[in-house]
Amino acid sequence: MLLYSTRRLAGAIPVLIVVAAVVFTLMQFAPGDAVSMLISDEASDADKARIREAWGLDDPPLMQFLNFLGNAVTGDFGTSFKYKMPVMELVLERLPATIELALAATLVAVAIGIPLGVLAAARPGSLWDSLASTFSFAGISMPNFWIGILLILLFAGHWHLLPSGGRAPWGMGVEPITGFLLLDTLIQGRLDAFWGALKHLALPALVLGTNMTGIITQLTRASVQEALHEDYVMTARAKGLGGMRILWRHAFRNALVGVVTIIGLEFGALLSGAMIVETVFAWPGIGSLLIQGISSRDYPLIIGLVLIYTAIFILVNLLIDLLYTLIDPRIRIN
Amino acid sequence: MKKALLSLLATAAISTTAYDASAQTQTDARVAVAITETISGYNPYADPVVLLSNVWCQVYGCVTRYDFDRNEFVPYLAETVQSVDPLTWEIRLPEGAKRHNGEPVLAQDIVHSIDYLGKNPSSGKSYLVAGWSKVEAIDDRTVRITTATPDATVPDNLAGVAVTSKALYDQMGEAMFKDAPFGAGPYKLDEVSIGEHIVISRNDGHPMLSPNNPTQIMYRIMPEPEQRVTALANGEVQIAQSVPPQLMARVADMPNAQIATTNSVEMMFLAMSPKTHPWDRKEARQAVAHAINREAIVRAILQGQADLLNGPVSAGQIGHDPEFTGTYDYNPEKARELLQSAGLEGVEVTLSTPVGRYTADRQITEAMVPMLEAAGFKVTLDTPEWATLWANVQQGKVPFYYMGRGSMIDPSRALHQYFATGGSPRIGFSDPELDTLLAAERAEFDPAARDEKMQAAVRYLVDAAPAAFMWQHKMAWGVSKEISFQPRPADQVNGWEVFVN
Repeated sequence: MLLYSTRRLAGAIPVLIVVAAVVFTLMQFAPGDAVSMLISDEASDADKARIREAWGLDDPPLMQFLNFLGNAVTGDFGTSFKYKMPVMELVLERLPATIELALAATLVAVAIGIPLGVLAAARPGSLWDSLASTFSFAGISMPNFWIGILLILLFAGHWHLLPSGGRAPWGMGVEPITGFLLLDTLIQGRLDAFWGALKHLALPALVLGTNMTGIITQLTRASVQEALHEDYVMTARAKGLGGMRILWRHAFRNALVGVVTIIGLEFGALLSGAMIVETVFAWPGIGSLLIQGISSRDYPLIIGLVLIYTAIFILVNLLIDLLYTLIDPRIRIN
Repeated sequence: MKKALLSLLATAAISTTAYDASAQTQTDARVAVAITETISGYNPYADPVVLLSNVWCQVYGCVTRYDFDRNEFVPYLAETVQSVDPLTWEIRLPEGAKRHNGEPVLAQDIVHSIDYLGKNPSSGKSYLVAGWSKVEAIDDRTVRITTATPDATVPDNLAGVAVTSKALYDQMGEAMFKDAPFGAGPYKLDEVSIGEHIVISRNDGHPMLSPNNPTQIMYRIMPEPEQRVTALANGEVQIAQSVPPQLMARVADMPNAQIATTNSVEMMFLAMSPKTHPWDRKEARQAVAHAINREAIVRAILQGQADLLNGPVSAGQIGHDPEFTGTYDYNPEKARELLQSAGLEGVEVTLSTPVGRYTADRQITEAMVPMLEAAGFKVTLDTPEWATLWANVQQGKVPFYYMGRGSMIDPSRALHQYFATGGSPRIGFSDPELDTLLAAERAEFDPAARDEKMQAAVRYLVDAAPAAFMWQHKMAWGVSKEISFQPRPADQVNGWEVFVN
């Protein structure tokens, strides 16, 4: 398994280089001039030239790219044009917020989607089946920024149950240890702060997880239904096993590989969806940072963040592949 | 005995009451402000955005500030700022000015700050100090600025100069901004979370503060207007910047909040670059000015939340002449005649607009299209993404666009930027007569005389029509009933102007 993982990670390097090259090339063709974001257009030509030189923008594009690659190997993705800070520092500051949100959204999707899908599969054609289908199609179809604003209006504006945005109540006073706020509050024994952070996480996680919930529901339903028609299920029934045991220990377990695959694939989509949700909820993650970077033509920040997204996606898929061996003992890594 | 005791008790009660009344209790209330702009980081010189620039002024102290009650620039960190001769300004620091860490504020700090602003690659505000040929510390409290040409706008530019410590910068470099952000302003920097919030807390004892100014202020980034308004309703914030017209009624109905409006100092206009046909013809430019039914747009789309402009400035700004009502009434027939006289009827033009940058920008320009077509133009509406449009405007690649220009407390810089020869490529307008008028107003130090010269420049500009001036938005802020806050025309939330009830 270690060898397999190492080979997969080594294989990710050319992927990252290609992604960096593509993004870098696209930035060169993007309208506008990066210098116009760094200095006022009232500046003299001499000042603009000085800025261009200071930021390395007067080098040929290939040289700029090679310099970037050379530095990226050491984890240096350059300095953000907008924030004037190392890109890696910005990313590390904001990444835990996005991962926390993505994990919470995945948890929401799994906690709702799987039981609902199994229930729908166990009772085909029933009211539960119809409700599950309706709910899942609604979750897939509705744009998450719209759901987000709607839920803000309801839960925050109308019922005053949850906050409208942000990551934590003001003055929570929790020291950042891991960067994952829920974890940090528990480590420090701050249940009041844990509750406050959870309330802030609830709406964005629910919104971000809606689309994934719909997909998981549908796929679970289909996979479990298919599994329930297999011969081993008939055998299990003939042996006198109870319905719940057949459903969960036999049918669902065999359907899980497909479900886990889709969770892994959807996690990548979740990360891109996080950009919108983070903006709507003022959640301080790398998604909203990327939106701000694109608006500002902040090339180092954009390339750095896209590479981070790519790396996360590769890692998640690797983890999913490794998880298969736990779910299905017949699957071996070779 | 009884009488004596009662008398004693009464005296004690009066003394206690008197003591309580005279010893005003400082509030420990915190105020959160929902803002639209993002936070660039710890560097006070990186971000030209007015609201955040103003936050840094509260922390470090800027040399001057604009006093909206007196309608003039006044010293802020400085004790005096005055013109010694047409090419020389002198700044004098108060005796004993100290930073939050107890270190003195020195003239060398001002020199260093100006130098950083003008030359450091991280500075986003170098334009503030362009045209200053020499800046030197005469002694520990005195700075002299020598300008290349007579410049009456120096106090305006100094309002954006946050004074940071030269000694700390020499010692720590850029790390100073994060690790030692010691200023001399009425508030201290507590916390910056990039893209999330910035928190400042009272610098107790600062002369600008009152006991019922907030003990802490958090500026929270909330780009979505729905979220800002909901946060206000929820009590998560006490001030919500920029409430759009369609949400004003909701705020007004809130039991815990109300709307506070102010005029802005941002001119909204249609720019027409004479470098591109048909805008090289004055008739075409004037036709645009006659073609737009501004009253209808303000009434129907902006719900009355804007004041029409007869030029680039309005009441209260330098150069405003109440007698001058402009020369462009809504007259589509006149517009068509102008186009016909120039042989331009049916000319194809593209109107570019930002989307979501200004209040109802897309809806406004969509309404303008049929108005322009009624005048004889053939119009294509272009709605590029803001960064694309802005980059192209800055490079002079957009011939016809809807835009706003803020920070016009003193309109001189904006007018030079857009309309003077070589000011910037944004419009590419060049008229030697106008250049002479603008140079004259900038070189005039007497306020009354300067006002007259600016009026002359404005009249000429309006006639030449490189831009059709539309309106200034009225800015609506949501304000909690727990505080008293009257917003100012420039987007500023100063802690010393917020009072906890």
